[in-house]
Amino acid sequence: MTDVTMLPTPKSWPAILLPRRDTPDPADLEVAMAAGAFSGLRLAMRDLGGTGTTAAIGASGLRGRGGAGFAAADKWRAASATPAGSRVVVANGYGADPSSATDRVLMERNPYGLIEGLAIAAFAIGANEAIIAVRAAATETIRILEAAVGAAQDAGFVGLDAFGPGRHLDMSVRTVQGAYLLGEETILLKALEGKRGQPEQRPPHPATRGLRGLPTVVHNVQTLAAIPWIVVNGSDAFAKIGAAECPGTILVQVRGPEASGVAEVPLGTSLRDVAALAGAPTGARKLKAVLVGGPSGGILPPDALDIPYTFAALRAAGAHIGSGSVIVADDRACIVDLARVLTRYCADEACGKTIPCRIGTRRLSEIGDRLAAGTSRAGDLDLLTDLASDIVGSALCDHERLTTLPLVSGMRYFRAELDEHLERSSCPAGVCHPIAMTASATH
Amino acid sequence: MADLITRPESRPDTPAVLDTIVPREDTVAERLLTTQSPQRPQSTPAIRMEVDGRIVEGLEGQTILEVCRDNGIEIPTLCYEPKLPGFGACRMCVVEVEGEEHPPISCSRAAEDGMKVQTQTEELRRLRRTNLELIFSDHNAYCLPPCQNKCPSHIDIPGFLKQNAEGNWRESTRVFKRTIPFPSVLGRVCPAPCEDHCRRDEVDEAIAIRDSHRYAGDQVLKQMLDEGIDPPVPFDMQPKTGRRAAVIGSGPAGMAAAYYLLIAGHDVTVFERDPAPGGMLRYGIPQYRLPKVEVLEAEYESVTRLGGKLVCNQGLGRDFTLDDLQFQGFDAVVIAIGCYDTNTLGVPGEDAAEVLDGLEYLRTATLGLPYPDHAGKRVIVIGGGFTSMDCSRTSVRQGAKEVTLVYRRDMKDMPAAGEVHEAIEEGVTAIFQAGPTRVLTDEAGNVTGVEFIRMALGEPDASGRRRPEPAPGTEFVIPCDRVLLAIGQGPDLTWIGPGSTGPTATRNKRLQADAVTFETARGGVFATGDVRIGAATVVQAIAEGRRAAYAADAYLRGHDLSEIKTRQTLAEPQPEFLSIVPFTSEVKEPRYRMKALEAEDRNASYVEYELPYSAAEAVAESTRCLQCTCEAIGFCDLRRLGIEYGTTLQTLEPQHHQGAGYRSVTENRFTGVNHDYIRDDSHAFILREPSRCIDCGRCANVCAEVVGAACYDFMRIGFDTLVTTPLDMSLNDTPCVSCGRCAETCPTGALMPKPRVLQKYEVDESRCILCGICVDACPYDALRDGGEFELAHTSREEPMIDLMALASIDRETEVTYIRRERDWLQRAVEEGRFVDRAKLLPMLPASVSPANGNGSGNALMTGGHGHDHGGAGGTHVHSK
Repeated sequence: MTDVTMLPTPKSWPAILLPRRDTPDPADLEVAMAAGAFSGLRLAMRDLGGTGTTAAIGASGLRGRGGAGFAAADKWRAASATPAGSRVVVANGYGADPSSATDRVLMERNPYGLIEGLAIAAFAIGANEAIIAVRAAATETIRILEAAVGAAQDAGFVGLDAFGPGRHLDMSVRTVQGAYLLGEETILLKALEGKRGQPEQRPPHPATRGLRGLPTVVHNVQTLAAIPWIVVNGSDAFAKIGAAECPGTILVQVRGPEASGVAEVPLGTSLRDVAALAGAPTGARKLKAVLVGGPSGGILPPDALDIPYTFAALRAAGAHIGSGSVIVADDRACIVDLARVLTRYCADEACGKTIPCRIGTRRLSEIGDRLAAGTSRAGDLDLLTDLASDIVGSALCDHERLTTLPLVSGMRYFRAELDEHLERSSCPAGVCHPIAMTASATH
Repeated sequence: MADLITRPESRPDTPAVLDTIVPREDTVAERLLTTQSPQRPQSTPAIRMEVDGRIVEGLEGQTILEVCRDNGIEIPTLCYEPKLPGFGACRMCVVEVEGEEHPPISCSRAAEDGMKVQTQTEELRRLRRTNLELIFSDHNAYCLPPCQNKCPSHIDIPGFLKQNAEGNWRESTRVFKRTIPFPSVLGRVCPAPCEDHCRRDEVDEAIAIRDSHRYAGDQVLKQMLDEGIDPPVPFDMQPKTGRRAAVIGSGPAGMAAAYYLLIAGHDVTVFERDPAPGGMLRYGIPQYRLPKVEVLEAEYESVTRLGGKLVCNQGLGRDFTLDDLQFQGFDAVVIAIGCYDTNTLGVPGEDAAEVLDGLEYLRTATLGLPYPDHAGKRVIVIGGGFTSMDCSRTSVRQGAKEVTLVYRRDMKDMPAAGEVHEAIEEGVTAIFQAGPTRVLTDEAGNVTGVEFIRMALGEPDASGRRRPEPAPGTEFVIPCDRVLLAIGQGPDLTWIGPGSTGPTATRNKRLQADAVTFETARGGVFATGDVRIGAATVVQAIAEGRRAAYAADAYLRGHDLSEIKTRQTLAEPQPEFLSIVPFTSEVKEPRYRMKALEAEDRNASYVEYELPYSAAEAVAESTRCLQCTCEAIGFCDLRRLGIEYGTTLQTLEPQHHQGAGYRSVTENRFTGVNHDYIRDDSHAFILREPSRCIDCGRCANVCAEVVGAACYDFMRIGFDTLVTTPLDMSLNDTPCVSCGRCAETCPTGALMPKPRVLQKYEVDESRCILCGICVDACPYDALRDGGEFELAHTSREEPMIDLMALASIDRETEVTYIRRERDWLQRAVEEGRFVDRAKLLPMLPASVSPANGNGSGNALMTGGHGHDHGGAGGTHVHSK
């Protein structure tokens, strides 16, 4: 079992993704079945059928938890509409953000939820191959998952004749290891093919042409784990939970001054309530900013915290759900410093395929470095805006688009602090030393 | 089991099923369903789409890019390789599709019927420009060297400096002579416009380009004079054509024309009006700047050594006419008679006896004669060019009491600004911004002084210099005894007339000739040099002469001159400079300067006053060259797009850029850290220059998908990503098959076919061991097993080849080798021969049977030469 703390949440919040979170051994199939595991798969196969299951998921409004918020059923329909001898379902459990343990918590505490969801998805689209991709370093997760897949196979839920005579489902746990951006679905597929993890231009989407050219549905593990609940409890019940445009719950990693841990949060909860799970800043310290979405997330000020925690609202505010990470910073943090460090991290983790990403994001972080060091050139802020908008304009994958978020949201909400650095050579938080030490510090 | 997914009537995409689903705003699914993969085979159904307001037709399954290119609409790409599906790395081929938020890239996006596409909006051009600027901010490489562009003759300056740096003086001179035949002469008299634009100036100081080729040229001359070794010839001498060309005038333009015509295989005769060849080089440039015997005559020998004939004391119009040349059987005539008529001041009193033509004055001086009564005179020299400098400094040497140089513009606009300090050091008084109004004479007609008027500087004129305008009321008089005029010259065209009809003069009294083909109005007669363009520098004259030689050569070979015109225009380097990255890693090392004699020593002497480099200094100076050039100019897509999208500079002239830092570097908004990689020239055919790589991935994709070798891939992550070999190993250690596809597809100069100098191969048969490796390795079957050769096998002491067994196998393997040895051993034992078992190879089990029995025949033979290599190794080849 993981050492990750589960944050206490209000009793009224539903537990969809982690229904059996307190089970001593989550890989124990009998205990899990007693609690309802695999009843969804049985229901789907017996009552709903493939199209019925797809329709149910479509009606539930389930969106992918991988960050982009893509409607899950759309991928299923596209994949099953593509003529192919075989199809693949991939569970993306890579958990790219090292500061967020949400996917790991799900896989370790509800492995059968994931396996069942994967099997239902495979059944619905006619796939006979299912892959759970896990970070190679997460050895405990791999152990639990392999034990669970083995047990499910022994029980006949996956494997030979899983979907009826002659219709098998091969399910495997595959380890991948690489940089941050391996969470992107086309990159993950390249990695599973044993190639260098680099994104492919979409379209064609993986749903029509994915792993080894086969129609491939890639879902985050949280998306898959929600599927059995929907099949068992019905689309309408699911659609009532959380926000109207993106129902359901999501795992959030909250880090704050008081506590840090993972919590299952209904989508649409206000960002302020999500941040409050980790406690409020104490003493003289004041809440200064909330970083939403991981390293490529947006930095939001306290007065922007009333927005709901949904895909669309966060995008509009200049952040995104991303890795499900919410980090609360008090007034000891310097926004300029935070933004430049995050940008540099993302730039260094880029795969290097496209020019805007390989060079552009690096130049963004250099502008941030210059701001922090007091060596800014004339027009650097305009350059930052222009470059960020051009990167977004000609980007290949979301990694480069989102890498612009820390600096752009920082500039949008904390312009006064930037100007302090730029015009007064001072850092209000006392983190940076924006004084040019030498005249030739650039280059 | 309920309904199965495979049941066709219940497929989720049928309307019946879709009806059960709540309709949603999101139409992504629809798009996914209808999107065509670009990799899908092209089918016949035609589609129509609108591109930039034009209706174009394409085939279903084509990408937008393919449709546009088929219809002649250009979309820029860097990473697109037509043999492969779109890759999407360079983001240059972005287009706008109506109704889409982010512009898709056209190389990967399928064309759809009814699509509306824009390829050249302001937004797209901005995105492309940003991408190019980002590439250039990490493109630690060079493009066109500004020195070569600024040289009127476009000498390969990095080329000869590279040879200099290795001490290859002859090769350096050979490179130089490709464009200019006289490195030593130019090394003394060239104003070196190249050095003003040297990129080394951004590190510390410009390279001493002129002094460097002077040193190399001098070494070749020394070899020629001391050891009689011919100077190097830049190109292979062409076979004799049997055509005869006459060159009139043996100045720099004429002799350069003669030189290149000789190399082209023509028979050349040079006619010279004066008693000795050289033109202005001999009669216009003083001995102290250009020694006549040691340098000028010696260097001119390189022309006569190629077979050029020189006829002196023969002046056009004076001794012969153009008709005469035609009667003598010359097929072409190149007129290069230069400019010898000095312009007049146009002020009262200038016809006084002591107002002298500066050229006339210099002529006597350069002949080694003191000009009559010059010593002790007060002399005024009027003008600011090199002639005025030579007049002033020669006057000092001839003992003039006072020498005053007067020029109407200010010092920095003076053509000879570089030399004026030396003249002042030697005692010349220089007065700027003053123009003569009249020459004062006494009753006897002797000059007593010149009245000047101050010049104010007005608006810049066509030459970019500020126009001098007289300031009324500022007249002043400088007393003097003699005035030397050095205010420019024009050509003498009085020879045009009976016997030499045809050529015409231009409005400003030059000989009319085409700027590219050099043809005059008379067929077969070409004009080049000062006579065509007016008095100019030596290097310009030589450039003229060389280009005229190419035109005359084409004429003599009966080619169409209009084609030559196109070719010559294309061959001119276009002044486009890429915004390159700053030179951060160069070690500062100031210029090596030539030492000069002290002013008091050189005043009294005609000895060359600059002291040459030592060999070590010459090497060190040339080593400073940044080699800021690229072999891929002309093939480079990045350069082409940089020019198209305005991320290059058209000029390095400061007036077109603001402020002191006008150079290319600061023009790039994104200048920051950049990579400096090491060149890999370990491969025999492919040269890798990773600093020029733009990470487009084309080589990696072509190598993996088309060739199958997969030598390259993207390596490392983030900003440091580079398309290179695994572990940056040498290409030799990869599965490279030397096919050259990677170099072919590379859009820049990062991968290039390696320049190779070896042209002929020889096999020394006395040393060949018939190993056959050359036969195995030759990719083109240029070497083959033939009747005259066969494989031989080294043994140790005893013959051990079973030739019958050998005859049945294609290639020797370890197994067959051991098997043969075993068979031999068996026979040897049976026959009772001595066998030293300690020296035997490990035995194979008997189950490995001989392929073709173990016959005892000796049938396989060598024919022909019957190479039999005896000796220590004991190689045995049976022969009939």
